[in-house]
Amino acid sequence: MNKALRYLFALIVGMVVVWSFLLPDAKGFAYPEFARVFFWHFPCPILGTVFLGLTCWFSFVYLKTKDLKWDIRAEAANDLTFMFWILTMLSGIIFSELQWGIWWQWDPRQTSFLLVLLVYSAMMAFRMSLADETRRAANTAAFVLASAAPILFLIYIFPYLPQIKASSFHPTGSIMEGKIRGAYAYAIILTLTITSILSAKAYKMRVQIGLIEFALDNSDGQLEIPRIDPAPTAVVRPILLSDED
Amino acid sequence: MSSTWRSEITAVLGKELRSEIRSKSGIVTNIVFGLVTVVTVSLSTYNQQIDKDIAASLLWVIILFASILSLPRVFLLEEEQNTADLLRLMGRPEAIFWGKALFNLIQILVTALIISFLFFGFTHSPLTVPWLYVVSLFGGCASLAGTVTLCGALVSRSTNRSTLAGVIAIPLLLFLVEMGVSGMRVAIGPFETDLVLGGGIRAGIGLVAYAVMTFAVGPPLYAQVWKS
Repeated sequence: MNKALRYLFALIVGMVVVWSFLLPDAKGFAYPEFARVFFWHFPCPILGTVFLGLTCWFSFVYLKTKDLKWDIRAEAANDLTFMFWILTMLSGIIFSELQWGIWWQWDPRQTSFLLVLLVYSAMMAFRMSLADETRRAANTAAFVLASAAPILFLIYIFPYLPQIKASSFHPTGSIMEGKIRGAYAYAIILTLTITSILSAKAYKMRVQIGLIEFALDNSDGQLEIPRIDPAPTAVVRPILLSDED
Repeated sequence: MSSTWRSEITAVLGKELRSEIRSKSGIVTNIVFGLVTVVTVSLSTYNQQIDKDIAASLLWVIILFASILSLPRVFLLEEEQNTADLLRLMGRPEAIFWGKALFNLIQILVTALIISFLFFGFTHSPLTVPWLYVVSLFGGCASLAGTVTLCGALVSRSTNRSTLAGVIAIPLLLFLVEMGVSGMRVAIGPFETDLVLGGGIRAGIGLVAYAVMTFAVGPPLYAQVWKS
């Protein structure tokens, strides 16, 4: 992205943020002006799921090829997934306090996301405990693939079970049922687009940094001084220092 | 002479069973753990009838922590006793995983049954739908065996492995506990409507399905990491 495009993108982001605040307040909320949290809450689980899919795919390819570059890509995608899960949780907690008057109420949606965050925290602890990079890559990839099914169950199946859905405050199917229309729908599409572009850029940068670190690690041996002719040809003789000095 | 899958799995299972019969450390530790926790629960609820939801939750928490304590040992011991490399030379990874997971299934089933007897004996909780209790217990134990065996295999060569096995296994098992509690709360306590029974049956089926998945996914994943 060249400089002009970056400025244009920053301008668009600013305009969308300002426009989202100029929209009329949504109806049916305790604090309608704060319902705008949804604009930034909604893209987070969507993008988290996209990056989770990428993490699983890169982990699978790593296990097949054993090429550490795929592990770098998987790690970058995994970091962004974790970040989006945390943002989902934080924006959800803020909305919960504003709408239902309580930060944490063990709502099934909140609880299922808490379990997902626990799985990711365990994944981070596990990754840090393995010193050897090849073993770390293989074992983390296996753990990612083993945890994908429980994570998807917790996010996309558990909250939609009839008895769970009935006991949850969290609205479900608002978009699919066409409850969000007009300017609010456009605002959500715009925030989703902006967040997608930003996260794609962040992912690309994270991978580039990882690949540079990988290249540097592999070039350590080549950075040493050549030892073909390490000593000078001239003979260094001891010299006598004067006592007067 | 090339060995068959069956003979390799049986050999690993037999080796684990023989080791356990000789030392008895795993099962004795589990039984003592179960006894201590059930007595603790009974003492803390002395002279009170435990609600069926609480009873199901407590029972599952005891079984979960008993499994976390004992099941990862099958792989951790191989590394501690320096026999893991020999094992890698002797058999196929999938067969080794299956053998150890089956041993873990037997171990946790025996433990869960003993814990159940102790629990119902001490707390006087009624058991109204025994077959649902058995399905939930079997599905839950099989899921625990598959998941904790895989986690034990993954952490076996990391630092602080014993603690880490629990740290990575528990988050994966928490939703399983939720399903297990859903099934058992219907099996324990007064008989409810068919709708509630249906929810319990769905939970039991979910546990069995998850168990099948862990036993299917575990071996190929272990095969990818066992020589790394």
